[in-house]
Amino acid sequence: MREAIREAGILFLIATLLGLAYTAVTGKGLFADRTFPASPTGNSLPRTVAPSMIHLQEAQRLFETGSALFLDSRNAYDYDRGHIKGAMNIPLKEWENAKHRLESLSKDHPFVVYCDGAECNSSIELAAKLYAAGFTNVKIFFGGWREWEGSGLPTNKSD
Amino acid sequence: MKVLLQNDHLSLLARAFVGGLFVVISIDKIADPASFATSIGNYRLLPQWSLEVIATILPWLELLCGLSLLAGLFVRGSALLLTGMLFIFTVAIVTALLRGLDITCGCFTQDPSAEKIGWMKVAENVSLFLLILFVFLAKNARFTVVSYLQHTAGGRPS
Repeated sequence: MREAIREAGILFLIATLLGLAYTAVTGKGLFADRTFPASPTGNSLPRTVAPSMIHLQEAQRLFETGSALFLDSRNAYDYDRGHIKGAMNIPLKEWENAKHRLESLSKDHPFVVYCDGAECNSSIELAAKLYAAGFTNVKIFFGGWREWEGSGLPTNKSD
Repeated sequence: MKVLLQNDHLSLLARAFVGGLFVVISIDKIADPASFATSIGNYRLLPQWSLEVIATILPWLELLCGLSLLAGLFVRGSALLLTGMLFIFTVAIVTALLRGLDITCGCFTQDPSAEKIGWMKVAENVSLFLLILFVFLAKNARFTVVSYLQHTAGGRPS
């Protein structure tokens, strides 16, 4: 048994080194870019500066006034199962193929980006991409789909 | 049972199956650690900061263990790690089911439209756990890199 534990320790050490080296070289995982890319004015801003986070009350206000376009950053499967009423699906992974759908909108058009809930990151990543693309009025709805649905607010659902 | 554990062909078959399986399932996770971190986060068991650490190391551990089993090198160490991982995965799935979470497993693929967790997945994991336990306990005396090296160096039949 002692020998097996020693072998397991060696394997764990090698896996840790390989994992760290791979993600460092490819810029994935732990080494993914944590800052918003250069803003339209050329400044590189930390994630905490922009875009801003909003909570349910503000998201609901923007929804009711119809002043913002809601963007769902989850994958198409989750979007099809249910989403905030009128929201457009821009899956984070398909940003390059989907961004043309926003070309007709002005750069100061208000956006509210959301994903599953507080535990997910794709809304933050999508907001960073919007910001890098020059959109200046981007808000992240922190509670996301779970909080919206749980509050009984308007949705589109397939079932 | 002792006869089964000493059957080199049977242990080779089990090693090849388990090793091949873990090599294959590690590829998707290595290619996209962010999606794997999201899959782990969906279980709502671990703090946010730990998700990317796990998503960085775990797929490589699966790959190494898989390759080790295929090569017959560090077999018991690999089997020990894999049984530990499978035990944790299975506990996570069971707790998620008991909490009523409707999430994808994130075990074999990061495709969100596939592999929702369920009791069938628990049964799969338990079967795999028993198979790896067999590999751990088996003699694994032949069809390994070590036995091959011993054979070529010493001229002894492996």
